[in-house]
Amino acid sequence: MTAAEGEPPDAGENRAGEAPTTVSPPTAAEETTTTDAGTELERTIGLSGGISIGVGTMIGAGIFVFPGLAAGRAGPAAAGSFAIGAVIALLVALPTSELATAMPKSGGGYYFISRGLGALPGAIVGISIWLGLVFATAFYLVGFGSYVAAVLAEAGVAVGSIPVVIPLGLLTGAFLTALNLFGTERAAAVQSYVVGLLLTILVFFLGFGGLDALGVFGSASTPERFAPFGAMPVFTTAALVFTSYLGFAQVATVAGDIKDPGRNLPLAMVASVVIVGILYVTTIFVATSAFGSAALSSFGETAIVEVARNFVGTTGAIAILIAGLLATLSSANASILSTSRAVFAVSKDAILPASAARMNLTYGTPHVALAMAGGPVLVLVATGQVEVLAEVASFLHLVMYGLMCVALIALRRNEPEWYDPAFRVPAHRVVAGVGAVASAGLILFMQPTSQIIGAVIMIASAGWYNYYASDVQLKGVL
Amino acid sequence: MSDNGDGGNDAGADVKADSEADPDTASKLAIREPPVVLVPVQVLEGETLSDALVSFLAPARVVVLGYHVLPEQTPTEQASMQFEDRAKAAVDDIAAAFADAGGAPETRVVFTHDRDQTLERVAAEVGSTAILLPNPTGAVSTVLVPIRGAGDDDRLADLVATLADEAHERVTLWGLTNGPGGFDAEAAVVDAADRLRERGVTDAQLTTETKTTETPLRDIVERSADADVVVMGEGDESILDVLFGDDAERVAEGAVAPVLVVRNRKPEPGDPAVEPGG
Repeated sequence: MTAAEGEPPDAGENRAGEAPTTVSPPTAAEETTTTDAGTELERTIGLSGGISIGVGTMIGAGIFVFPGLAAGRAGPAAAGSFAIGAVIALLVALPTSELATAMPKSGGGYYFISRGLGALPGAIVGISIWLGLVFATAFYLVGFGSYVAAVLAEAGVAVGSIPVVIPLGLLTGAFLTALNLFGTERAAAVQSYVVGLLLTILVFFLGFGGLDALGVFGSASTPERFAPFGAMPVFTTAALVFTSYLGFAQVATVAGDIKDPGRNLPLAMVASVVIVGILYVTTIFVATSAFGSAALSSFGETAIVEVARNFVGTTGAIAILIAGLLATLSSANASILSTSRAVFAVSKDAILPASAARMNLTYGTPHVALAMAGGPVLVLVATGQVEVLAEVASFLHLVMYGLMCVALIALRRNEPEWYDPAFRVPAHRVVAGVGAVASAGLILFMQPTSQIIGAVIMIASAGWYNYYASDVQLKGVL
Repeated sequence: MSDNGDGGNDAGADVKADSEADPDTASKLAIREPPVVLVPVQVLEGETLSDALVSFLAPARVVVLGYHVLPEQTPTEQASMQFEDRAKAAVDDIAAAFADAGGAPETRVVFTHDRDQTLERVAAEVGSTAILLPNPTGAVSTVLVPIRGAGDDDRLADLVATLADEAHERVTLWGLTNGPGGFDAEAAVVDAADRLRERGVTDAQLTTETKTTETPLRDIVERSADADVVVMGEGDESILDVLFGDDAERVAEGAVAPVLVVRNRKPEPGDPAVEPGG
């Protein structure tokens, strides 16, 4: 493999004799990265592009899939679950920002952990996050299927007792993978418009609903008890709905393409968490004010549509249905793209075969990595287990988040020469320490099934590393 | 990088400032601002330059920019890992052709998601006075210079005078106007001819024409069939540019010949010569 040429000798090789490839040293140059051979890599994503990746990835789940499920578990206190999620996400977003400005490279969390802690934790996270994103994508696709089914129901199309949700999710998954394989011109621009439209619909809806719930129009609704099921479900629900916050780290996976990463990366990550956090908490507040949590729960994945109908009638329901379609679709698409980037990052470091990073010149797309994203997604969509899919995705991401916090503390304790972040977390030990503990803690509140699946994936990843790439060293290899 | 660009622009601006301060001295200079031509080539798409075009451009300082546009889902890093060598080899081939023709080209290789951003950035960094929008061409014997309004006349004259070799190339200055009361094409063409003569272009090489038309771009595209190279100004930004791309790009898309677009001087802080209205 040509990839092995000119590598530092200490990086090691995998079973196929491939060594990690260094394309370019990480720099925080504003507009380009320059490779060792002098080729320039243009940075093309600005701040708004970064925020739209973050928000676009996250918003699909929290508002359009979870309200019914969460209210069913925790009652109105589900708003608290979302708030807990937001706080944990912020605690992780700050250390992630620092690491990303020090190493603005494609690969995100995997890259930081493998460089900060070494190849084994890196490999576990890298492979887990690929599968974690696959679980997340499957979850969004099932959500999308639910919305299409709801649209069909709204339009009066009788599907009888045929279960349409899963076949629709499968079709859409295959369609998105194909779309990305054959190149999507201006996908990011479309994503930005979609996110803008979504935010507009939501702000109107939540503004109206919020005022209504507070009693501005008509009488204030009588809230049921805040936490009818006690405190424990608030935490287990936080573990479930944490999937709604997975997107901010996706901003770091495109770090190599972000202009002026020292400024834009931290801003985009923190801003997207804050934006979606506020929207989520408000949504749950509005939803639980409109209906009791039992009623919400019975509406299932599309509960928010009934909430909109309650406020603004059929028009509202249709607007929210459209928003739900857009949001779940944009989340699914963004996750497929992140998956392919995750596969690339791991394969570049010889932890997966180099062929996984191949791209074809005709369409300019990484076809192997996209297939490795789309294929397993379809299998998982077929299971239709929304909650398990969401929790496993969260589990695997939380492991990465926890380790990123640990990596930050480790790097700061003994700063390597190359470590020069543009953004430094204030009181980093406290922030990263609490972030790591909270991430680990959230995992404990998940269903046993999800915990077992997540643990098995991590063990399998470690096993793969030992089998295939145990000689590969990545700590401090830039 | 950007220091180079600034340096180039400043040097150019100084010369222009001098010329404004003292036209008599300035008119004795042959070339005021040595032209720098940016030649963007989509090397991985198999795009290349004809030998005729290479020898036509060789007298100017040339920057060969090999670039490849990727869809957004592909990290630039991934593409460079796999195709960097191929792209570099292709750019080096083009550079070698320029070297054979007596030039000393600079080369750049860029992987990008946004062609316009890359062209604009590199053009500014190397202080380029013109950008080539490639189209196929045979041996270059006629250079068509459509003049439609205010542009950077000195840069344009510098470029044409540098490239148009007395032995080979004839220059047609073609003023286009939308009628009386509009742009004074007649005067502009005479002025442009003067500027070229000052820079050593002979009368034998020069032809001047004017035309009244409502559809200048379409006329230029049609006329380009008779020319081997079109040299034109960037034009002013208009709302149509946002919708359809700028004038030069629209011409290049329709035209049979390659188009050299003379860049307007970009205003820079502390640069009196290019201040708006200056």
